[in-house]
Amino acid sequence: MVNTEGQLYTIEGFAAALIMLMTAYLVVNATSIYTPGDTHISDMQLEVLGSDALAMINTAPNGTSESPLQTIVETNDGDMFGQIFNNIVNNRTKPGQDHIQFMANVSYVKSDNTVSSTTLLDKTRSLSGGEHAVRVSEWVIVEKKFPDSDSLRKRAVLVEVLLWRD
Amino acid sequence: MAGLNDDAQWIVLMGFLVSFSLFFLAMVLNQSVVVGQTTAEAVSEFPKDDIRGVRGVIIQSAYMDNPDRTGVQNDIRTLSLIRQNSVVSFSNTTNGAYTYIEIHYNNGVTVYNETWRSP
Repeated sequence: MVNTEGQLYTIEGFAAALIMLMTAYLVVNATSIYTPGDTHISDMQLEVLGSDALAMINTAPNGTSESPLQTIVETNDGDMFGQIFNNIVNNRTKPGQDHIQFMANVSYVKSDNTVSSTTLLDKTRSLSGGEHAVRVSEWVIVEKKFPDSDSLRKRAVLVEVLLWRD
Repeated sequence: MAGLNDDAQWIVLMGFLVSFSLFFLAMVLNQSVVVGQTTAEAVSEFPKDDIRGVRGVIIQSAYMDNPDRTGVQNDIRTLSLIRQNSVVSFSNTTNGAYTYIEIHYNNGVTVYNETWRSP
């Protein structure tokens, strides 16, 4: 006949084994995150800030004339772009400027249907590779002739801004 | 159960209860670490501004006259594909006083379809 002693101890043994197995499973299965959890949150904020700034520059003051961004692209006025964009993204409520750095490109379609980019504004500070840069873009319709593109006509171009916090 | 000492069973049971509840609390804590990251990633990866931008420029192009319109619409398709990794297709039809534009956007993760009607 089987000995019925020590049943509670057996149950306890099983329970302990189960707990240890589940703990080991959780530890081995856990996702390792090497970046601080809030890096992506600041990326997201930067992206929203940049998109909003570009949308603001691409709004015509009185609704009928050209938007500042259209004029900037047509005249290739990178300084003006830098000034306006800097004003929008780097001004703070409290005194002093924020430290967001940026660079801007204009992408357009060439006459052979491939895409090329011209620099609108060179980077305001050199990139070292450790920055978390985000890219935002804004469509504009401009009347301009680009290098390697066919004659002067209206074309849709993409203003792309790479921005990062220094 | 002969000879088994069955004293203090409630204490043993409570011990189990407490240890299991601690275990589940630890699981909740484990999950909460990644909440901020996954939320921000979901927001960053959803191409809201891309869709809004391409939609705006498509509607703008529909009001242009040919041959400008053909060129601009070709630019939109090409630039979306190459610079924004998204396939954009659209067509406009006129029905009475209204212009309808069918907009299809697909970047492999997010699909957006819209039929826009002119005001």
